[in-house]
Amino acid sequence: MKEITLTVNGNKVKGIEGNTVLEVCEANGIYVPTLCHLKGLTDLGACRMCVVDIEKERRPVPACTYPARDGLVVQTHNERLEKYRRLILELMFTERNHLCAQCVASGDCELQSLAYKYQMDNARYPYSWPALPVDSVNDYLVIDHNRCILCGRCIRTCDEIVGVHTLDFGYRGWKDMVVADLNQPLGASSCISCGACFQVCPTGAIFSKNSAYKGKPQECQKVRSVCPLCGVGCEIEALVKDDRLVRIDSPDITDKRGILCRKGRFVPLYSTSERVKAAMVKNSRGELEPRPLPEAIDIVARKLTELKAQYGDNSIAGIASSQAGNESLRAFKEFISGTIGSELIDTLDGDIYRTISKGTSDYDSQAGLNIETSLEDILEADCIIVVGANPLESHPVAGSYIARAARQNKATIVVIDPSQNTFPYHAALWLQPKEDKEPMAIDILSKAVIDKSAKKDSARTKEIAASLKDVNVKKSSEQTGIATDDLFEAADMLSKAEHSIIIYGEGILRHKDPGLITSLLNLATVASSRDKEKPQIISLKPKGNSRGAWDMGIAHPSRSIPRNLTRNKAKALYLLLSDDYLDASELPKLSKGLEFIIIQSSYLSPATSKADVVLPSPIWPETAQEYVTLDGIIKSTSRLVKRPHGIKSESQILREISKQMKK
Amino acid sequence: MAKVKVATVWLESCAGCHMSFLDIDEAIIDLADAVEFTRAPITDIKEFPQVDVGIVEGSVGNTEEEEVLKELRAHCKILMAWGDCACFGGVCAMRSSFNKEEVLKRGYIETESTYQGKIPCPPGVPALLDQVKPANHVVKVDCYVPGCPPEAAVILYALKELLAGRIPVLPSEMMRFD
Repeated sequence: MKEITLTVNGNKVKGIEGNTVLEVCEANGIYVPTLCHLKGLTDLGACRMCVVDIEKERRPVPACTYPARDGLVVQTHNERLEKYRRLILELMFTERNHLCAQCVASGDCELQSLAYKYQMDNARYPYSWPALPVDSVNDYLVIDHNRCILCGRCIRTCDEIVGVHTLDFGYRGWKDMVVADLNQPLGASSCISCGACFQVCPTGAIFSKNSAYKGKPQECQKVRSVCPLCGVGCEIEALVKDDRLVRIDSPDITDKRGILCRKGRFVPLYSTSERVKAAMVKNSRGELEPRPLPEAIDIVARKLTELKAQYGDNSIAGIASSQAGNESLRAFKEFISGTIGSELIDTLDGDIYRTISKGTSDYDSQAGLNIETSLEDILEADCIIVVGANPLESHPVAGSYIARAARQNKATIVVIDPSQNTFPYHAALWLQPKEDKEPMAIDILSKAVIDKSAKKDSARTKEIAASLKDVNVKKSSEQTGIATDDLFEAADMLSKAEHSIIIYGEGILRHKDPGLITSLLNLATVASSRDKEKPQIISLKPKGNSRGAWDMGIAHPSRSIPRNLTRNKAKALYLLLSDDYLDASELPKLSKGLEFIIIQSSYLSPATSKADVVLPSPIWPETAQEYVTLDGIIKSTSRLVKRPHGIKSESQILREISKQMKK
Repeated sequence: MAKVKVATVWLESCAGCHMSFLDIDEAIIDLADAVEFTRAPITDIKEFPQVDVGIVEGSVGNTEEEEVLKELRAHCKILMAWGDCACFGGVCAMRSSFNKEEVLKRGYIETESTYQGKIPCPPGVPALLDQVKPANHVVKVDCYVPGCPPEAAVILYALKELLAGRIPVLPSEMMRFD
């Protein structure tokens, strides 16, 4: 990096070759007003607020796009430049319909702040008053083109940071407009509703329906936390006013892990699910009715003590959702395994854990879940195989990393999925095996990669090659329904890649076949570059704290509990549902033949209506807990808002039942 | 010293700026020593004498407002604009993006609470202009106090500047568009 020296406003300042004039100014603490510029995005020079005078240039130039050179003489402020800046503001205010008094962004608007700064108390130019549409089709976001200044921040963020590139400029000149896809309403476009555009919009042109008019950022308390809704574990900054969530932002949107998704940014503000507001106990008519919490705890403790005495410790089963945080899960484990002493303890996604666990140990008996690579590695990948997963739906931020790798690293994406989802849209190749032919498809792809590349010299690769020696690629590809040419093309992409990575999800895990996991690990091994030989693989785990629950040992790595609990001679079930939902198909199996069901849950659902006792749970913004990301990093959430009156933490309730039972 | 004569008008607006002016509370007592209010919605005087300072609240949306503003300009030495409507068009200008016939139809016929509505028409009422204009797009304006409404303290600041013989320009920290 070559150091360069510039003269800015008469002072010598240092910069680095490759910097823009604006970057040099900012690095040296010299203020230059900007509007379309956002650190981390490619500069565009759209707004012209940052114009500076440069010696020997005939006219002012935008500092954000002007390359800094050794010896450049720059002036950032003089009467003429300030006059131009105010003129630009007046032109912006008269170009579209900027009526601050009724705008959601008033008080939090970069255009308005600059107008204040430049004392723009009137606009001299004719107003154009264009009649522009307001797009409110999206569930969360509104685009009001009347307030858009065409800075292009949303477009660049959507492309460069999020990687989906839904937004772009449409039309030309005077009619220029931000459009989604081919000018579709945002809600009918390829938009993944991540809300990044909303966060970077300098005006009120893009806003969130449930954040509008709830409070200005400067009136809010800003709380850093982590979104626990899927296992990606994104850092968030919540804006809270009067104990109410106003909005959720990314603390640093242009950081490489700075994007959020629909779930993290919007779901906590848009949830309409009905809460369990108080403890409920089934009365003699079989209806749930609200009862004071101590009474409900007492009923649970008495009933469980009775069953334990009569039928033994294993008459009570405990099942937890992996959406619960570590503190709740720890208390749950202590309660079921300790206080009750039951061996019937599992998570709702226990079978998935056992599938991954078995498949991994069959591949390498020493390897545990740590064999998986970190999510950040996706951003470095040059070839990504997405198997049985729809990351933009299930783990949108991970999906975004994939899309970004495709755009920025020119990574090739291959999707292996029998069913259509949104992901093949981003893929170079979509291998579509027939239903249930995925294992065969993965094996023949491994075989094709081995045949293609010279990566066969390690013991492990030889072993894999030997296990696949009977596989006939041509014949099998016919059976799987994948065209042989496509298969060879995918193998070619994989063998050429320097840093390939395999990401699999629900579509693979639902088969509960450990062999599939082993096959995927094999494929990852043969596709890994020669010097590494470490399979680069990530499983998209079903719940936000699956990894935490599994690491804690709530689900046993090999011993499975039949879901028909009465076959285990269980009489009662304690279900820690937390702020998760129970899949309706799981419910009849779980509850069949049981004498007593206790559900600790945040939300009312068909499941809670089957319970004998329902205990109220807080939701995640109301607690501070640890969660473990799907790649094994422990992250702590902060309490963002108070728990509603009468709702105690899950661990406290569990300890109180424990205490009652020990009396 | 002779009192400074002031005339104020409110055009297309909500009267909020005048209300905000009255929020200067006891400062109005000192102001009354230095200022004589002539024609103003508050005094209910209808005639324009020659004044030193004319103040306009509101935007210009019809022929009558245009005429009143021109008359005020002709009768004052310095013209000050109060509020977002007079400075920029403000909330009243929301209709400017639409065709005025559409606006009248929506307002007088299609509104949900209207039964057998009828569009009032000239000469009985002044005709709407095609678009709502801020004051400086009709006459020359000398100083501006934006805000919706401007805070009482900001209005007082601007008036005191005028009394001190200066044309007020609001410092950045007093600027508000809401």
